[in-house]
Amino acid sequence: MQSQDIRKWFMKQQDKGTGNGNSSKQTKSSTPEKPSALTPQSGKLVQGMQECSGRRKTSKYFAKDGKNAKDEMEVEESSTEKKGQRGSMELTKVKSPPGKKIHKLENDDEDEDFVIPTSGKGSVDTTPNKKLKSGSGKGVAQKLVNESDEDDGGKVQSKSKSAGRGRGRGAKGSSITPTTTKGMDVDESDPEDMDDNDANSIKSGGRGRGGRGAPAGGRGRGGGGRGGFMNFGERKDPPHKGEKEVPEGAPDCLDGLTFVISGTLDSLEREEAEDLIKRHGGRVTGSVSKKTNYLLCDEDIGGRKSAKAKELGTAFLTEDGLFDMIRTSNKSKTSAQISKMPVDKVAPSPPKKSPQKSGKTEHAANLVARIDVKGLTSRASSSKRKDQSTAQTWLPWTEKYRPKVPNDIVGNQSLVKQLHDWLVNWNEQFLNTGKKGKGKKQNDSGAKKAVLLSGTPGIGKTTSAKLVSQMLGFQTIEVNASDSRGKADAKIEKGIGGSTSNSIKELVSNEALNLKMDCSQPPKTVLIMDEVDGMSAGDRGGVADLIASIKISKIPIICICNDRYSQKLKSLVNYCLLLSFRKPTKQQMAKRLSQIAKAEGLQVNEIALEELAERVNGDIRMALNQLQYMSLSMSVIKFDDIKQRLQSNSKDEDISPFTAVDKLFGFNGGKLRMDERIDLSMSDPDLVPLLIQENYINYRPSSAGKDDNGMKRMNLLARAAESIGDGDIINVQIRRYRQWQLSQIGCLASSIIPAAILHGQRETLEQGERNFNRFGGWLGKNSTMGKNYRLLEDLHVHLLASRESNLGRAPLRLDYLTLLLKRLTDPLRVLPKDEAVERVVEFMDLYSISMEDFDTMVEMSKFKGHPNALDGIQPVVKSALTRAYNKGSSSRVIRSADLITLPGIKKAPKKRVAAMLEPVEETLAEENAENEEEISSDTEDQEEELIDSDKKLQADLESLNSKGIQVQMELKGSGSSSSAKKPPSGRGKGSAATSDGKGGRGSRAASKRKR
Amino acid sequence: MLWVDKYRPKTLDKVLVHQDIAQNLKKLVTEQDCPHLLFYGPSGSGKKTLIMALLRQMFGPSADKVKVENKNWKVDAGTRTIDVELTTLSSTHHVELNPSDAGFQDRYVVQEIIKEMAKNRPIDTKGKKGFKVLVLNEVDKLSREAQHSLRRTMEKYSASCRLILCCNSSSKVTEAVRSRCLNMRINAPREEEIANVLEFISKKEGLQLPSGFADRIAQQSNRSLRRAILSFETCRVQQYPFTVNQAIPPMDWEEYVSEIASSIFKEQSPKRLFEVRGKLYELLINCIPPEIILKRLLYELLKKLDSELKHEISHWAAYYEHRLRLGQKAIFHLEAFVAKFMSIYKGFLIETFG
Repeated sequence: MQSQDIRKWFMKQQDKGTGNGNSSKQTKSSTPEKPSALTPQSGKLVQGMQECSGRRKTSKYFAKDGKNAKDEMEVEESSTEKKGQRGSMELTKVKSPPGKKIHKLENDDEDEDFVIPTSGKGSVDTTPNKKLKSGSGKGVAQKLVNESDEDDGGKVQSKSKSAGRGRGRGAKGSSITPTTTKGMDVDESDPEDMDDNDANSIKSGGRGRGGRGAPAGGRGRGGGGRGGFMNFGERKDPPHKGEKEVPEGAPDCLDGLTFVISGTLDSLEREEAEDLIKRHGGRVTGSVSKKTNYLLCDEDIGGRKSAKAKELGTAFLTEDGLFDMIRTSNKSKTSAQISKMPVDKVAPSPPKKSPQKSGKTEHAANLVARIDVKGLTSRASSSKRKDQSTAQTWLPWTEKYRPKVPNDIVGNQSLVKQLHDWLVNWNEQFLNTGKKGKGKKQNDSGAKKAVLLSGTPGIGKTTSAKLVSQMLGFQTIEVNASDSRGKADAKIEKGIGGSTSNSIKELVSNEALNLKMDCSQPPKTVLIMDEVDGMSAGDRGGVADLIASIKISKIPIICICNDRYSQKLKSLVNYCLLLSFRKPTKQQMAKRLSQIAKAEGLQVNEIALEELAERVNGDIRMALNQLQYMSLSMSVIKFDDIKQRLQSNSKDEDISPFTAVDKLFGFNGGKLRMDERIDLSMSDPDLVPLLIQENYINYRPSSAGKDDNGMKRMNLLARAAESIGDGDIINVQIRRYRQWQLSQIGCLASSIIPAAILHGQRETLEQGERNFNRFGGWLGKNSTMGKNYRLLEDLHVHLLASRESNLGRAPLRLDYLTLLLKRLTDPLRVLPKDEAVERVVEFMDLYSISMEDFDTMVEMSKFKGHPNALDGIQPVVKSALTRAYNKGSSSRVIRSADLITLPGIKKAPKKRVAAMLEPVEETLAEENAENEEEISSDTEDQEEELIDSDKKLQADLESLNSKGIQVQMELKGSGSSSSAKKPPSGRGKGSAATSDGKGGRGSRAASKRKR
Repeated sequence: MLWVDKYRPKTLDKVLVHQDIAQNLKKLVTEQDCPHLLFYGPSGSGKKTLIMALLRQMFGPSADKVKVENKNWKVDAGTRTIDVELTTLSSTHHVELNPSDAGFQDRYVVQEIIKEMAKNRPIDTKGKKGFKVLVLNEVDKLSREAQHSLRRTMEKYSASCRLILCCNSSSKVTEAVRSRCLNMRINAPREEEIANVLEFISKKEGLQLPSGFADRIAQQSNRSLRRAILSFETCRVQQYPFTVNQAIPPMDWEEYVSEIASSIFKEQSPKRLFEVRGKLYELLINCIPPEIILKRLLYELLKKLDSELKHEISHWAAYYEHRLRLGQKAIFHLEAFVAKFMSIYKGFLIETFG
């Protein structure tokens, strides 16, 4: 808004020189990045300003008066069309440069004049001007008491108007062909800047999508986006962190100024500085451009920003300077105190410093004239809306300002266009081919008969669908979640009287009817299926039915959903042209919101609207609702209002654990109230502590302040770690003994205390790590650990089953493992292949170690930075080992101890027998868990052994058989030697019969390895 | 076969260390009755060996006929049924199990399963004894509730069942349980004893043992006989004939812990803490019990620590070990210990060297 005020000043001056004709053209020319004109009347300047500041308060009245006046004005200009306005805008734009040029020249001269006489005071003078900006325009108005009512009104109007317009044009600027190349500099810079802004907002948007959610507290786009995407490594702590008192200033004292922050500030964290600037109406961007007024930095670190700033002649501002600016603005309310502002460069001072106090009265008349001219162009659209709004004030704004033409839709223009094209071509594409032959597939495989719009709520999907159809003269039929959308009744003939879906079917298939009734101009219909992902329980078969409808449809169908990747819509997606609506950028939204706010007579500055747009996360409907709600209680909405309101609002939303942790650890984390913290950590009482534990090391605590050797931080870390441990202990109490009343204290210990101790700036600890909170590693590690324990238990049981050892699980891992592994791998490394393999297999057989156990051991002895146990073993040898092992497996004495159910047993005991070993002297009976194919040879083995062995064995075998377990016996000593397969022969009948008789075979078949 | 298993004494008469205890046990058993027994002592001191030898003494060779079972019990616990899976090692006369495997459900194991087993008298009529034996391992890891349930069982079914409890630390067994048992403290064997055993083995194996080598192994074994024999065999696998100053390979995980310790000494920073966390995770994943990690870590840290800090650090280690047992997520407490150490040590360094 400030810049617009200044325009008037420029204009007036210009008027002097160039005459009235230029006045309207001048309005645009003075964009803030232009080096300002300093008045030649330096002596008068201070005085004038004092006056202004004195009037600052009173001017508020005029603002209000202005509103009334505005109405009057609007009546006058209500006839002007929007188009006309735009046209004239272009005109002004094109024509303005010459005037500006002259102006610039003047400026140069004046600058010199100015600087020399007041060399010491130069910086002094400039400051107060700025603070008075908000008042300055009105200050003039006061002088023209008579005209002021009308006049001021015009100004108010034009101010905000041109803000919106200027931006809008900036965006469209590229489409306007430059007629005069010379003067286009400024205009061209507009789109550029817009790009900057866009880039910025995209950045922050991306961050949100990345799972961080809404940035904590006042973390704005610049710093936040930066931290998120680029790792700048160590940004040092502010040297005097928290040592300075942050001033409170007039809310709008930085209005219209654009800042860029660079390097480390003296006492503020970047986010804090950003917050401060925004609160006072300033704008913070990420990179230096022509629009930038100040580069905020305390030390010239010579980075890209400062280089660019020097190139563009942007003023450098120290933190103290910023404070002074804010502080003085406050004081100037009562008396115009002149404070020093250490602006490094005086010459290219920002344009706001240029209000010429002289000759106000002369200009008054010009002003009025200008407003007349300008009013024609600027107020047309709003006045139109205003009329409407007065007529129907009871409507919610979301309805009232629903876009009326597709161009009104905020963002996603290309998608709207696509939708438009699709709808236009629909008839020719599908209906004409349909005429040629029924059931003929569409010739263009890419063309789909339906379209699926997807996107988050409140970004205008339904609106655009309706608008586009309306514009093309389609009659829309909307079916949404409020209608029952179940499967159509099988008998469609039952007719429209039935469920909605039946009527849909009717609609969809009845195109021919329509044609007959009105051959000349068939009324076109389009079916809008809203909220298709909401088709659920009640709407049985809804999606399938919809697909069927799409297939036979003779009218276009537009489906709308929020989540395109929803499981329910998987089948539907194939039949639809997919259009994914994206969230509009906050600039786009702010532009639209400001139009609406203006139409409603609400004073909101753009920064505040951008903040609002950011907070609602792209949901324009919600933004409007918020705005309307706020308009009930106030007519002027400031940055802080929005921030405050939405902060309390966002509490009710679902927040992801990541967002919660982000907020807890954010630089504002220390300012949260206790209940807020509890809410945050309770948002997921299981996950949040894990995330906290995973990430707390990464935060540089802001409470540590100046911390040269990291000692404080280390102490805080230790405290936090202990508190996290407390949380774990409490958690055990909660879970094991169901002491749920402890959950709050658990929360406190596991999340809140660590966060309170360590909240601050996040930094990365590893190279190439993204500066986001990691997901808690504990879950994954714990499950790996569980798996390994299971495997270890397997191994343990195998070892026990070998009966050679009777050891516990812990000693197995701690003591045995190293040696076992050595015994298993060393021979493979040193000895010749065959011998090694033989030895190892022998050893494995002895201890009942299976190949899987072997892998387990290797896996379990892996440590990062240590040689793998298998290193240095030839793959040939390894495969030879596997082969040898598998070869022996047919007659293996080994008893894999996997859990095996024994279906042969009718009683089905509760126990599942794993491995049963009944050692009888030298013989060993074991369960065979091998494949069925081997059974025959097994039984033969059995028989052979049986012949050799004594009677007792037989008894044992039978007893085991009776349990339905397949048993194989071998002389223990011949374990490995008997591995040679025996040719199958008829000898097996005897024992086979016995086992068969006992149902052993059946069980054998079933008792396959359960691996 | 591994030497540890090969030269494990099978009878009470053959034991080389703790001969006096073995003789006492023998007398105890031959007098036909046997109280409940609680064996406690550090790992590798021969508790299990003594128990097995004792069982053999009681029941003869049939005690060796064991079968391994992986059983699944359904325990009815009031409102719900709980599935408990346990591995048991049983012969006709005894059942050996590890109730603490059931985690926090160990209470049900004790209340239901053990009671069930204790109730049933052995059917074996030929058996000399009128009772069977339940061997419970790692009793110190049982939760308090489980131990409380245990004591009733011990009294009620003492007619048909004897319990042999085995644990590392008797202090973690409740007094009630301890007082119902005959406590057998099995010391860690002295280094000379270990060296004797190693010499015995080398004689049996026909190895040339350089003088002093056995002593060195014994020293490094941390007075665990099992460790000593295992590392002795590791040396044998690695290099034979032995040389006097042959390096005795450390356990893989111990090596890793000592690396952690030295990295902690090198730098005390959040970054380092983060790295250490990763390494601790690795140890945990590789099934090293957290208490052992903490103990070993303390041991390694104390090695290089200035003496004035030793007391303080040991205190904190104990503090965090206690919390470790109270809690569930071991890494939190290990990390807290490391953080604490770092902060103390860093402060100390800054104080001393500025």
